[in-house]
Amino acid sequence: MSLHPSFARPRTLDQATEVISSLSSGAIIIAGGQELMPSINYGVLMPQVYIDIGQIDALKGITEVDGSIHIGALTVHRDIQDNKIIRSKVPLLACAAAKIGGGWQVHNRGTIGGNIVSMHPLYDILPSLIALSAEVEIIKDGQIRRVALSDIMVDATQGLGSDSLLVRVVLKSTSPGAGWAYEKLKITAGGYGSANAAAIITLDGKKIAGLRAVVGAVTELPLDVSDALSGCRGQVWSDRLSEEVEAKASAAVKVPLSDHQGDGDWRKAMAGVMARRAIEAAIRRVG
Amino acid sequence: MEDMLEDTVLVNLRINGNLHELEIPAHRSLLDLLRDDLKLTGTHMGCMTGHCGACTVSIDGRVAKSCITLAATLGRAKITTIEGLMRDDGTLSTIQQAFWDNAGFQCAFCAPGMLLCTAELLATNSDPNDADIDTALAGNLCRCTGYQSIRRAVKAAIAKTKEA
Repeated sequence: MSLHPSFARPRTLDQATEVISSLSSGAIIIAGGQELMPSINYGVLMPQVYIDIGQIDALKGITEVDGSIHIGALTVHRDIQDNKIIRSKVPLLACAAAKIGGGWQVHNRGTIGGNIVSMHPLYDILPSLIALSAEVEIIKDGQIRRVALSDIMVDATQGLGSDSLLVRVVLKSTSPGAGWAYEKLKITAGGYGSANAAAIITLDGKKIAGLRAVVGAVTELPLDVSDALSGCRGQVWSDRLSEEVEAKASAAVKVPLSDHQGDGDWRKAMAGVMARRAIEAAIRRVG
Repeated sequence: MEDMLEDTVLVNLRINGNLHELEIPAHRSLLDLLRDDLKLTGTHMGCMTGHCGACTVSIDGRVAKSCITLAATLGRAKITTIEGLMRDDGTLSTIQQAFWDNAGFQCAFCAPGMLLCTAELLATNSDPNDADIDTALAGNLCRCTGYQSIRRAVKAAIAKTKEA
């Protein structure tokens, strides 16, 4: 560790991007610290400069803008769980945020922005955000651009890159008639799951009309299995279809993680089980 | 932008009611600030990864794990540690007394998290059910009791608070 790291407290987005671009490697952006501090405590990360973005008002707040829900990057998990707009318009996200490990202490400080940019395979809200077709706004060199979250989920080791800052998450309301679910399989100590899945389902009568399903904690980045399961559309949920969903979601996992949360073959199998359970639960919730 | 970089950081923390103006190194965790600088050793050092909850304090009315909180980010926060829970006359608070009466703890290493999370539960929910209790305590590990005596103590604290 640098024995004498320095500290910067930008107050505006412009100041933040200036200071970020003026520094080379060794600088880290810190908000709640729930992702970074364990790594710092154990010497895995040794920052030379801490950039505290916690004072930047532009990164705060949950608002509705032109029918979209804007969630500032500094919004903590506890506020996502409790916020009326999120609970009524994108309840899947409130549900997933409640399943994050670490209890209230972590939910009170961990931010949605930190959760996203860390791109940690075992974190809980990315599968739901991708299932919700979330967009994110990112500032770089003073310019804000809006992109699909799935487009930046490319390289977990690089995150957003060292010159960008996540400003907010933008979501569309989930249709009131849709069913949704987030299922997490947790078999080990600590807050991490061994497999999880988020699903959003719409029905036409009894037949599946729309299906979004994303599995997490089994591959380096969340895996969108919606296309692999597209054959479900037009079908009525049945034992046969549930077996098919499990097999296809599992087969979509090409390179499973193999770590303390379980070995690869089992994780691949559990990906299918979680996708099936999430879709089943989402169908039960329709209407 | 070099002028934006500070070698040390000034924070004005109100800790258990007392104002502390402190010039601290950028990398100081809140846990180290409390235990090493201010000798408030009731906040325990456990895992240093945010799993165990033994280092729990309350920051602006919300519980947090001090080992994974960077002190320099706290500005003018109000902090309550386990030392701040007792009444002004030095007697136990309602929550502490309920844990004492119900043998809530054995070794009590987890006490900061269990007590401060219970305090936040009672401050934010006038009629918590069993699931609410479990949610409130989920960020804390106890390796002595199997949690049943802790649940019993929290329920006693809820009942006592409703009486008052």
